[in-house]
Amino acid sequence: MPNLSPFFVTGLAVGAIYALSGVGLVVLYRASGVLTVAYRAIGSAGALLAWPLAQDGLPQALAWLVAIGLATLLSLVYGRVLAPQLAYRDTVVKAVATLGFALILLGFARWYWSDDPRQLPLPTSTMGLSLFGVRVTVTRLIAFSLALLITIGVALFLNRTRLGLSMRALANNRDLSAMLGIRVLRVETWAWLISGVLAGVSGLMLSDLVRLDAIVLTFMVIPAMAAAVVGRLRSLAGTLIGGLLIGVLEAVATPFQAITPYRSVAPFVVAIIVILWLQRRRVITFTGDQ
Amino acid sequence: MAPRSLNTDSAAQGQPATGSPAAVASLGSVAGVTVPLILVAVFLPELVGSFWLRAFTSSAIFALAAAGVALLYGRLGLVSLAQVALLGLGAWVTLRLSHGAGLPFELVLLGGGIAAGLVGLVVGLPALRMRGLYLALITLMAAGCFQVIVGGTGFPDGGPGFLGRVTSAGARLLMARPLIAQSDPAYFRYVVVVVAAGFLLVALHRRTRPGRAWALIRKSEACALSAGVNVTLYKTWAFTLAGFLAGIAGGLLAGSVGQLDGRNFPASDSILLFALTVVGGAYSWLGPAITGLLLRAFPSLLIAWGVDGNLAYIVFGAALLHALITAPAGVAGQLSDLVAGLRARFKRHNKEQDE
Repeated sequence: MPNLSPFFVTGLAVGAIYALSGVGLVVLYRASGVLTVAYRAIGSAGALLAWPLAQDGLPQALAWLVAIGLATLLSLVYGRVLAPQLAYRDTVVKAVATLGFALILLGFARWYWSDDPRQLPLPTSTMGLSLFGVRVTVTRLIAFSLALLITIGVALFLNRTRLGLSMRALANNRDLSAMLGIRVLRVETWAWLISGVLAGVSGLMLSDLVRLDAIVLTFMVIPAMAAAVVGRLRSLAGTLIGGLLIGVLEAVATPFQAITPYRSVAPFVVAIIVILWLQRRRVITFTGDQ
Repeated sequence: MAPRSLNTDSAAQGQPATGSPAAVASLGSVAGVTVPLILVAVFLPELVGSFWLRAFTSSAIFALAAAGVALLYGRLGLVSLAQVALLGLGAWVTLRLSHGAGLPFELVLLGGGIAAGLVGLVVGLPALRMRGLYLALITLMAAGCFQVIVGGTGFPDGGPGFLGRVTSAGARLLMARPLIAQSDPAYFRYVVVVVAAGFLLVALHRRTRPGRAWALIRKSEACALSAGVNVTLYKTWAFTLAGFLAGIAGGLLAGSVGQLDGRNFPASDSILLFALTVVGGAYSWLGPAITGLLLRAFPSLLIAWGVDGNLAYIVFGAALLHALITAPAGVAGQLSDLVAGLRARFKRHNKEQDE
């Protein structure tokens, strides 16, 4: 039995990435009823814009702000222009529609910035400290604590503030909320704005932690969805735990030769088990949507 | 997407299948499917070069997989995001049987189809409990599993053992094509015939008992149940059929290319196939054909024009948004609307002239 504790630490760092994206997905889903496939595409578009800017000698902090700004803007464009047109459709149609937006961003990114390998190193990646014999960069620590902070912050926001309450009401039933006097468009705009900022921030982290490649980053959303599924697409804490669990499972499988090539199956297997478990007693014949 | 799908449903399935004008009409539309396909199969290889022939072969293959997606989405309203994974699975089994057992091409093709059909059945089992977003997610997760597993195992290429992989030294073998279709043009014709058979299989289902059952299930499962429809049977049947079509498509792809790369079946391709099925149109046979062309011939067209192939993503994305927001029956629906509109105008014109 190999010593697993270093892999455990690495796993938490990887899991923080899944959790960070998963939490962003759940926030938007709870607030607007859209499970967005474009979440990572929006984030990576920001990061891809920041890269040439930083190369051209723009101060780094400013480049990051531009990246987050672009992600927020893109998120708002989708939320205000396209999402309302699909407001009354099935949740799955809304989700597939965001794929359209993701494909447009992906195509543009690969066409405009070409697909040469490159990296957007954050200065925090050169700093590090040792934990259980593993060097952990400050970027990973930030990713981990950011996942925690965002989870707590957003949970408080959704459960304690008036705007958060409106968001939850809106996601639940748009018509009834409108009738109760909730300003539908304003609340939704806030939801997309928050989601855009989160996507931008985590997009910067991921382009450092993973690599700055449009396709890889865009479809990072699929394992992130697995983390969101563990949280039943509702619970932020569940998503955080799900993301971390998936990351740890994946990393702990590394020292076992036979299963090493297959360890990234972890998010999907965990998600499938969770979905089947959640739906075990469900009979849909006489119920509504799902 | 309600109004159009309801219309096509009642037109296609509201009539008994034999001995009525509807049967004659359905024969007519079957001819409408087969005649253009025969023309394409006979003349296309004579007209285009090998680059385009490969693109069209691949398009026809993906059209068959799209027919399975369209069946689930158009008939039952179910979203399966695992069909490219099932295609890959069919290809794996076909290659394994071909290299391992040396059976004739038709038999290994059928083997791949049946294997993918059975796995499709298993993937579809959760659909008995859920639909909508969660079903889409669980099929996507299954596709993710397949992506990782096949990325590790790779596809058989004539080596020893269960995985059939050639180790470093040995030469990788190509899969044997059918005896009657060794050359590229002959193989294209072969593919078109198989794909046409697959389309006819779907058409047959739509016009008989399963089609009527699916229409009722789509309306309301409670309704279907109270009308004595075996909901479990027909839902799993649809998933099995869709998986079978994907598996056959996978076998055809394996035969077309000879060797496959384990990294070429990512889960994202399954989502893309679904998206383009919506763009092409999920309610008629023409839709999947358009989907196949979009997926495989359109990027070749961009390359031939000297345009960056990545622009295809932008077009796909815009087309998907357009289809979802304003054209729920996809390009196929818009084309048939156009034809119907022209026909009506033509008739009106004739009538005015008669008067």
